[in-house]
Amino acid sequence: MNADQEEEVETLYGLHRGELRRLLNARLGDSVEAEDLLQELWLRARQRPVGPVGNGRAYLFRMAQNLVVDRLRERQRRMARERRWSDQETDFAQAGMEPTDRSGTAEDQIIAREEVAALASAIANLPEGARRAFELHKIRGLSHAEVAAQLGISKSGVEKHIAVAMKYLRRALLR
Amino acid sequence: MTAQSNLDERVIDEALAWQAALERDDADWDGYMAWLEADPRHREAFDSIALTTAMVEEHKDAVGSLFDVQGVAASPRPQRRMRWALGGGLVAALVLAAGLPLLRTGQAPSVYAADTDKSRAVTLANGANILLSPASRIVVHGKDAARIELASGEVYFAVRHDPSRMLTVEAGPYRITDIGTRFSVNLSGGSFRIGVSEGAVSIASDKADGQVRLQAGQQLTGGADGHLTLAPVAASEVGSWREGRLSYSDAPLALVVADISRYSGKRVIVDPSLETRHFSGTLVIGDGSRLLPDLATVMGVAVHPQAGGALRLGGADR
Repeated sequence: MNADQEEEVETLYGLHRGELRRLLNARLGDSVEAEDLLQELWLRARQRPVGPVGNGRAYLFRMAQNLVVDRLRERQRRMARERRWSDQETDFAQAGMEPTDRSGTAEDQIIAREEVAALASAIANLPEGARRAFELHKIRGLSHAEVAAQLGISKSGVEKHIAVAMKYLRRALLR
Repeated sequence: MTAQSNLDERVIDEALAWQAALERDDADWDGYMAWLEADPRHREAFDSIALTTAMVEEHKDAVGSLFDVQGVAASPRPQRRMRWALGGGLVAALVLAAGLPLLRTGQAPSVYAADTDKSRAVTLANGANILLSPASRIVVHGKDAARIELASGEVYFAVRHDPSRMLTVEAGPYRITDIGTRFSVNLSGGSFRIGVSEGAVSIASDKADGQVRLQAGQQLTGGADGHLTLAPVAASEVGSWREGRLSYSDAPLALVVADISRYSGKRVIVDPSLETRHFSGTLVIGDGSRLLPDLATVMGVAVHPQAGGALRLGGADR
């Protein structure tokens, strides 16, 4: 990144810092964590080129939203790991044995594999229309309009199917 | 996580609507922040929608290729949690498996078999390297060799882990998944054994829900009666047949004898008095002819030639 761009990011960040703090506070409900993410956002923003200043605000807001989701996902994985460990702990403690391998990456791969399985199974269980619309849009990457054309329904029909699917998956995946 | 609480439908609908609205260039960020601040449940609802979206986004390729292989999204299977009944000194780490249907495709399967006197190396379409021990046979199904069926004998697998690829090895009622590792699977004489020398695998059975996780240095043995035993095994002994040794640790005699039968080319009958016995030890394969006499010596029993060229292990001479 050249000096001009860096200056631009700094200006942009300075301009929206207050709003970004408000967004992160509202999003996290914890001012300490919000401050922490604001720092991280700043560090990351400096490492990336920025689009035209007109989109700068939305750009930074989206970045903040993504950082929050990354953190949520990390927390979710950590909980999955801890659940697995405590299961193993209990079982092995009963048998008086030590668990053999706790390698983080192997564990993460198992968790990812389980997520894929849970996701595939949840999608397969969706009502037919919602399943097809969801698969074409979210899995195959077709636009709402393309899905509408393929299924012979309206765009708002597609959106309704996707909303049904999202609600169902939310319940199935985040028990 | 946050989603456990009973958020009402209206709040979830609002969260979904905001998520869609924020994707637009002219998104109303002020309105969104005001909505979040109005009620802590709004944040909770948005978290759960954002997390679901992130999981879908992250795994869409893996799910997509899974659906490709299945042809259609499959019918549901109920999820229950049931622990495997495991014998032996170790208890396995159990994980709940989502009801994932078997992979099926319309593609014709390929059969690979090794001759009775030598092993056979095969590299599969998905890059997995396998070695079939003499007189062993596998059937490879599907695009990318997604499903490998061990018909009989013992096969050693060296598979690089790739989370986007679904690879399943089936042996009788057992299904081995989540493979990124080196392991040896044996299906002989109605018994099953898998030993892992590197990495880990998950094993499911038609006879029980859930999975057993097997790590390097562990083996799982299943007798014809379905009794399962998880035990430690020296990693160097897993697949030791590749170096001319048959190593067993508390293996059902039926499995040992079936191996010997394969290597010696002779039919071996176990006397009923020995049927429930297990064997631990190492036998040198050589030309296969010494295996049974050596086993008999170690076990302190006799070998009796039978009519028709078969050999009987144990019992009185007759």
